[in-house]
Amino acid sequence: MPLITRLFLKAGLVYLSCSLITGIILELEFISIPIFHVLFWHMLMLGWITQIIMGVSLWMFPGRSRIESFSNQKWSWIAFVLLNLGILLRIIAEPFIQLSTHMIWKILLTISAVFQLIGIGAYLIEIWPRVKGKKQRSKKRKKESI
Amino acid sequence: MPIVSVWMIRMSLLYLASGISVGALLLISKSLHIVSFAWNLLPIHIEFLIFGWIIQFTLGTAYWILPRYLKTKGRGKSFPAILMVVFLNMGILFVVVSELKWDYSFLGLIGRFFQLMAVALFIKLHWTRVVSYARS
Repeated sequence: MPLITRLFLKAGLVYLSCSLITGIILELEFISIPIFHVLFWHMLMLGWITQIIMGVSLWMFPGRSRIESFSNQKWSWIAFVLLNLGILLRIIAEPFIQLSTHMIWKILLTISAVFQLIGIGAYLIEIWPRVKGKKQRSKKRKKESI
Repeated sequence: MPIVSVWMIRMSLLYLASGISVGALLLISKSLHIVSFAWNLLPIHIEFLIFGWIIQFTLGTAYWILPRYLKTKGRGKSFPAILMVVFLNMGILFVVVSELKWDYSFLGLIGRFFQLMAVALFIKLHWTRVVSYARS
């Protein structure tokens, strides 16, 4: 299993745990913070499920280079770093948006949105050309051999 | 990868791109209050990412990767598989239109029905493909 896949899967497992801890906090009404509801769902759907899908598809889909290097996997690395930075920034900044009027939290939340968007974009650049039927792949191979 | 899986996975990637773009717009709107209409798009963000991305990607990958039929070595008839893709995506689009236009709420019901039909077709196609080779 390539390193980038292992990182996606382990980050996904950490987010799954964090989302479940948040879920427990949400059930404890005396310490419940409404914004945790949004964080719970995003850690589960983006941090956990989406990262697991991304990690496994980068590993299992055809067309992966066997040589692990940054240049071969640059889009996957950009996706991993930016997506996780984006989610982390959101977890840090979002609770403070309602509690504080300071501009820094708004800026951090905006940066988080941009990071997540670019991260997903990088994943799409990596995976799109690898989603191919047998015929398309054999045509590509023939072209490359010529 | 069979062509049905190629369509489903590519569609799911398009939904991921659209859903995450709407999500980014919502987050920026939350922090900077610059896009007032953005919150009307919240149901679309949810529909695109849950049904369009996660469910469609999972079904498309399962169609490709689950064991083929043991006797015929295929994935079954292609017409129900194509119909499954059409129903699922029509369902998503119908639900999205119903969320955008409140007058068209009946489309939401039709959309969910299409999604149910897609899942029923998926079950029909895959029920006997969920096997253990050791028992055959």
